[in-house]
Amino acid sequence: MGALLTAEDVRHLRTGAHFLACTIDPTAIYVYAEMIEKAMENRALELISIDELAPDDLVVAIGMVTQGLFIADMPPVGDEFIGCIRAIEANLGRQVRAIYSLAAANINGIVPLMVGLQSSLPVIDSDPMGRVFPLISQTTLNIGHVPISPIALMGVTGERAVVEAHNPQRAETLVRALVTEMGGWAATAMYPCSAGQMREHGVHGSISRMIRIGEILDAETSVDRKFQQLAEFLGATRIARARVSHVEGLSRPSDLGLPALPSSVTLVDERSGQIIRLEIQNEILLVLVDGAIAAAVPDIVSLLNSEHGTVVNIDDVRVGDVIDVLKITAAAQWYSKAGLDLAEPKAFGIPIEHPRRHHA
Amino acid sequence: MRIGLRLQGTSCRALVLDGHSVVAAAAAVRCTTLAEAVDTTFEELRHELGTEITKVTDITSDAGRVLAARKPASVIAIRISPRPPADAFHVTGLPALVEPVVARTVHVGGGHDLRGRPLAPLGLEAFLAELPGILSGEVRNIAITSVGSTASKDHETRIADAILSSDSEMRISISSDFYSSVFRDRDYTAILNSALMETGEDLAAMLDASGRRHFPSATMWFAKNDGGRAPLARLAVIPIHGLRPEPAMQILGAATLAGAPDGEVVICADSGVTVGQIRGGLPATRSVIRQGYEASLASNAAVVEPYTADHPVRPAVPSVIADLRSGQDTPLPFGLVPTLAAAHDAGQVGSAVAPLTAWIDRLETVSGRADLQLVQRRAEEDAESAAVQLGASPGLTRIIESNVYAMPYGNPGIVRIRVQAAGEVSGDTIEDAAEIHVRTPFGAGEGASRWAPC
Repeated sequence: MGALLTAEDVRHLRTGAHFLACTIDPTAIYVYAEMIEKAMENRALELISIDELAPDDLVVAIGMVTQGLFIADMPPVGDEFIGCIRAIEANLGRQVRAIYSLAAANINGIVPLMVGLQSSLPVIDSDPMGRVFPLISQTTLNIGHVPISPIALMGVTGERAVVEAHNPQRAETLVRALVTEMGGWAATAMYPCSAGQMREHGVHGSISRMIRIGEILDAETSVDRKFQQLAEFLGATRIARARVSHVEGLSRPSDLGLPALPSSVTLVDERSGQIIRLEIQNEILLVLVDGAIAAAVPDIVSLLNSEHGTVVNIDDVRVGDVIDVLKITAAAQWYSKAGLDLAEPKAFGIPIEHPRRHHA
Repeated sequence: MRIGLRLQGTSCRALVLDGHSVVAAAAAVRCTTLAEAVDTTFEELRHELGTEITKVTDITSDAGRVLAARKPASVIAIRISPRPPADAFHVTGLPALVEPVVARTVHVGGGHDLRGRPLAPLGLEAFLAELPGILSGEVRNIAITSVGSTASKDHETRIADAILSSDSEMRISISSDFYSSVFRDRDYTAILNSALMETGEDLAAMLDASGRRHFPSATMWFAKNDGGRAPLARLAVIPIHGLRPEPAMQILGAATLAGAPDGEVVICADSGVTVGQIRGGLPATRSVIRQGYEASLASNAAVVEPYTADHPVRPAVPSVIADLRSGQDTPLPFGLVPTLAAAHDAGQVGSAVAPLTAWIDRLETVSGRADLQLVQRRAEEDAESAAVQLGASPGLTRIIESNVYAMPYGNPGIVRIRVQAAGEVSGDTIEDAAEIHVRTPFGAGEGASRWAPC
């Protein structure tokens, strides 16, 4: 028997999912948290460990894939994910036993809880990213050669598709094209696999971690105390406390196959005089301090308001703001050669190797 | 000369600026009705100014407190999306205070994607069948919000046209008039705007009549949430932009009194200490007013944060610390030392000096950096034109903010362009002000209020 989540857990999860993505606009997370809390009034929400499932049980990743209109601008009707699960079951001729998050941050960190409530399926405390990446091929399951397909998609229009593609990069291309035509986002179910495969190749404790992060950040305590607790819990380090001096959109050439346009933020550490540069493409991909790499994807980079200890949305960063730039090491799988091939800066069009590649 | 008015309940308070000098600052006049209070205030000002009343060119009213206090009218919310919500959990939520305002919700099929392509055909026929039922009720206010209306407002305007062609007296607010990439923010903003339109209409008519009577040569304006002003007649159409102007006007007023068009402004009030920024003579703004985890109001408004002990101080940047508390017997918190005492109501000074402001906030498709610069320049020209259309002189407009935002997980090539222009009809701007000079204020002491013989 797994743990039953409380409304308080959901509120903390909301903060944790926001922090790990350092998202552009957290509204969709807020909307889902509110929905989940309402739905929990009459139904229990069970979070289970992957070890609680039989090795052959069928489990499937649940998540939104976006390219176009924001989720918050095209609110889900509510039947999309159930439609995807049914499509996977019909395709494989088997019943799904449990679901897991496609990512451990942002909207996909919280959506599966609503789907669990709607479907009465337990939610596994694991995911295949350990953070959030923009591409569906960027998963630890892909590193472990677990097939991505069949992938079921359903959009707000009610249209549904099932993609069967063996190559995860091709799957990414096909899914992204469908998502664009579905309006901007699609509910998806993908990486259907056995609980045994998920145990071996997944990242575990994802949802509990987001809840714990939320507990730390939601507490009425000083910014320094929050940072100290994040350092103890996540091994987070503060790269800089610096003031934003320049924000630039469309700052690098970009591959049109990648969702979103690149942007950059330049900051100045007023004590040391160091220049900090953030390269952004949906998430923060690279942090340079006086030109040297201080963090690079797959490292997780997040921003905190230095005065209030709240998460800073990338969209809200303005010249003159003082922010803390934090670095958190990603799941170990991402620093293997195969992991870096999928998710180091080069994979995002930035011609830089992750410093850890030399030890991979 | 310019007058800054603050309206609250059935009281009115005025301050007169001549250039950058405060020439009159009256105590609040309270009467049995707001109209009487405004009339009495104007009458007293006429008396005080004597023959100089012809020099009064502009009167700007901060009507935020009145708009917030009056009971909002009932609204019919029309939501346009490809399909209606499948269950109660997926119905768009509104803040608890506004939820009761919605008398009825109508779903219409339709909506657009980020490229402006239809996601579903507009369900106009089904809507027209429902329209007589909508019009036969007592509710006269309508809010229309469509999925993707930041990219195309076609479905919203077609539904609005359908309503107006059956009943031209309906008050309609469409969500594409307010920029937010969040459906529930636009929905909330359009609903609240619609609910306030009647009050805005009444206030505009009352202020206009009183203004014409006492200051026939002056132009009437209302104070906006972004620290700017707009023609008073617009208060009937976009009252939402005049709902919360006070924080912006306080920042602008304190900066004006201190002669600081750029820097940080710390406002110490009875309710606490807040901090904002002034840049180029206007408060730094955000395009939404956030309300915790609830829907945000899609209105450009001054960014105001609580001041804390950890506040990062920039020695090289000028700071204005305005002590606006009603009593100044105790020291300020956080060891702050005021640079500006509450000689005048900073908010009213802000209203009096607020420039005309106009915004362009839209999506554009670009193919590269050169193209981006082109669309940004075009947006800047459009923003300046918009300021001129509001009444600014072409030679006295300037760009305050011009930004491009990448759209996360968006369609390739689509960016958001956000530009603010400010302008003046004539005369000086805050940037020209070395210092505000104070000259013979009249009436009772600041902060006091009195009953006038209305």
